[in-house]
Amino acid sequence: MPRVTIIGYDVRNIDADVDDDQVLIDAAHLPDALGWELKPEGLCRDDVCVPVRDQSTLFVDDRVDVARVAAALGRPAVVDGDARLVSVALPAEQRRQALDALVAPSFELADLDGTLHQLEEWRGRKKLLVAFASW
Amino acid sequence: MIAVALDDSADDVRPWTEGITMPVLIDPHHVLTELYAISNVPTVVWIDEHDNIVRPNGVAFSNDMFAEFTGVESGPHLDLIRSWVRDGELPISTDDAREAVGDLDDDEVLARLHFRLAAHARREGDDSTARRHFERAAELAPHDFTIRRALLPLTGGDPFGQEFFDFYTEWQEAGSPYHGLPGTPPPE
Repeated sequence: MPRVTIIGYDVRNIDADVDDDQVLIDAAHLPDALGWELKPEGLCRDDVCVPVRDQSTLFVDDRVDVARVAAALGRPAVVDGDARLVSVALPAEQRRQALDALVAPSFELADLDGTLHQLEEWRGRKKLLVAFASW
Repeated sequence: MIAVALDDSADDVRPWTEGITMPVLIDPHHVLTELYAISNVPTVVWIDEHDNIVRPNGVAFSNDMFAEFTGVESGPHLDLIRSWVRDGELPISTDDAREAVGDLDDDEVLARLHFRLAAHARREGDDSTARRHFERAAELAPHDFTIRRALLPLTGGDPFGQEFFDFYTEWQEAGSPYHGLPGTPPPE
């Protein structure tokens, strides 16, 4: 099956068929694609489940559409079927937490040497998070 | 201090980080702009010991190189930081902090998705896909520097050239929309 690239927190390549702007995969491969698993109680990751009222709406025949699953998780997606690329939003809930509850959302980003860092590393210290750019 | 570069690669950033000892992270997918609702840089978020945001995104500079252009001096914000670090004094109430940034709207989120897709396609050498999605991103978030200005170096443009100044004028004519606190004025 041809590969499709899904860009979210990270970049993942999965087996999928593209039909127009539908990206169809076996439900069993959802954890690889989006990090969530489809269970009878909904879409689950670790101990957290997001209920899905009618799971059949995620399916096209016997496979799930990645964009519909992302939407069920409250994450909009952009699909470029021709380029076989999907870009999935981060959970809006995290941003709203930042804006309303003023809880700093965590992130995982590499430094210039490629070592990954998370915000939690600096817990217990006052921090200035500075976003800058060369442009 | 944690610096996060909204740049495509470590090589883009290295010229600015020589001799710097603080952590410098690189965010080619602009994850931070989506998580914190950031629409321009430089912006500074104050985060306390418990990972609570005590002063949300705000315009701030470490020196006065661009003060004439931006109208924002570095000194007043640096003074506020000193008071916070030394005395725990906060320059903004929790209620005001909640109001300061404003959530991204649906189009601004979609613009970030198109930008991310374009940046990936470009890295893979698929320039026509990249261009298409950079253009769509710019249409969806026409006043967002992290889209409009950031895409210039990725599409053969000049982020300090005429295209940027045209965009800047367009942005000012739209009322200078911005997610975050304005620059700190000098005390009266």
